[in-house]
Amino acid sequence: MIDCWDLDFNFNEFLAWVGEDIDTLMMLIWILPVIIFVFYGQRIQLLISSNEIKKDIGKLEEYTISTKKDFLNYVKNNLTSKTDPSKRLDGFFDYFTIMPVDMDPNGIISKINHLVRSREDFIRLQINGMFSDLPSVELSKLQNLLEIVTTLQLFYKHTRHLYLTAKKQKNFPLILPLQMMIPFIMEEAVALKDAMPAIKKGQPIGDSIGPMIVGQMMLDTTKELAAFETVWSKTTFENRDLFLLKAEGPNATVGRPGDGFEKIISNKKPDLVIMIDASLKLEGEDSASIAKGFGAAIGGIGTERFKIEEIATKNQIPILALVVKQSIHEAITLMTQEIADKANTVRDELYDMIRDNTTSGQTILVIGVGNTIGVSQ
Amino acid sequence: MSKSKNKLTTCYTSLECNSCKILNKRKFIDGDFVFSSSENCFDCDGKMMITKIFGVTMD
Repeated sequence: MIDCWDLDFNFNEFLAWVGEDIDTLMMLIWILPVIIFVFYGQRIQLLISSNEIKKDIGKLEEYTISTKKDFLNYVKNNLTSKTDPSKRLDGFFDYFTIMPVDMDPNGIISKINHLVRSREDFIRLQINGMFSDLPSVELSKLQNLLEIVTTLQLFYKHTRHLYLTAKKQKNFPLILPLQMMIPFIMEEAVALKDAMPAIKKGQPIGDSIGPMIVGQMMLDTTKELAAFETVWSKTTFENRDLFLLKAEGPNATVGRPGDGFEKIISNKKPDLVIMIDASLKLEGEDSASIAKGFGAAIGGIGTERFKIEEIATKNQIPILALVVKQSIHEAITLMTQEIADKANTVRDELYDMIRDNTTSGQTILVIGVGNTIGVSQ
Repeated sequence: MSKSKNKLTTCYTSLECNSCKILNKRKFIDGDFVFSSSENCFDCDGKMMITKIFGVTMD
């Protein structure tokens, strides 16, 4: 052991020196961190940010593994298959979609529509072939569950890729967009993970509010198929004809309202279209609050909205929207009591909207937009 | 029931009798879906229809 006092260090002398030249010491104390931050600032920032991101990537991995396990267990326990479906389903998790070239955007909507529908049809056909006597409700639930797992896997893989690239290249600016996006990715990932139990049990989710309102109006009417997994019916309200359109419940599907609208308009042109949907609330807005507006209230990739807007424009039909605000978590997990209790209020608002914007003898098309899981008609 | 951290969500089914309009609330049973009517009213023996299915979360 080295005895520091062997170095003839005189503390009193040191203090005397400091007392004489305090400015030099202070300058040294301050200049050192400045030098460190000039040369290593980015690395320190990268280290701090990457630790936070690493934790979130760990969570994403955990969600992906747990939902995958959950999905496979659900299949094993609830469905009968000739062979073990785990291996084939495992292959579906890595399926990807290459979006069409958008250098020339003309006609891209029909290309996207074709691509998305082909993917859906393929998955539906493959799953149907795997299990014997698969009811349509179960098939739609499986498609939704598969979508959850693949989306979570996609989130995990892409986030990890950006993180590892930034770390490998010691490139701090590369991690900044990820740092900004990760809270939103995590919010959606948690919502997707929490959506699993409701989908497995076929319970309505927050997004089902639109189909729930139109579904009740459809009770005791004759339902006809308007498009794939989409039904419509006719009723009357204060001397006005009401055409009602929604996805076919209680399947876990959003249907094809664009195609349904096309079929209805070939029958009779409505004077007004009212779309009821769940809408993402802005920060500070109350959950289950109702908002009215103009335009096609429908989410998704945009192909259905495009179709509805195109038909409405061509036929000069105004579109009104009635939405129930909710968070992303509320929209895709089990419907909350707050949202469910708003159904009657939304229906009253809808009738007021019809009274205010149409006259006796006119025809109104009411579309209940959203996933109709656990909601029939 | 589903657990998320310290939150516990219980799913309930709300029913209404088509005849006497009496309301009933019970825990969700597999196979329940909104606007289905599979059980009889405990009061008038009319058909009960499911009007709502929702979750209640407790911390």
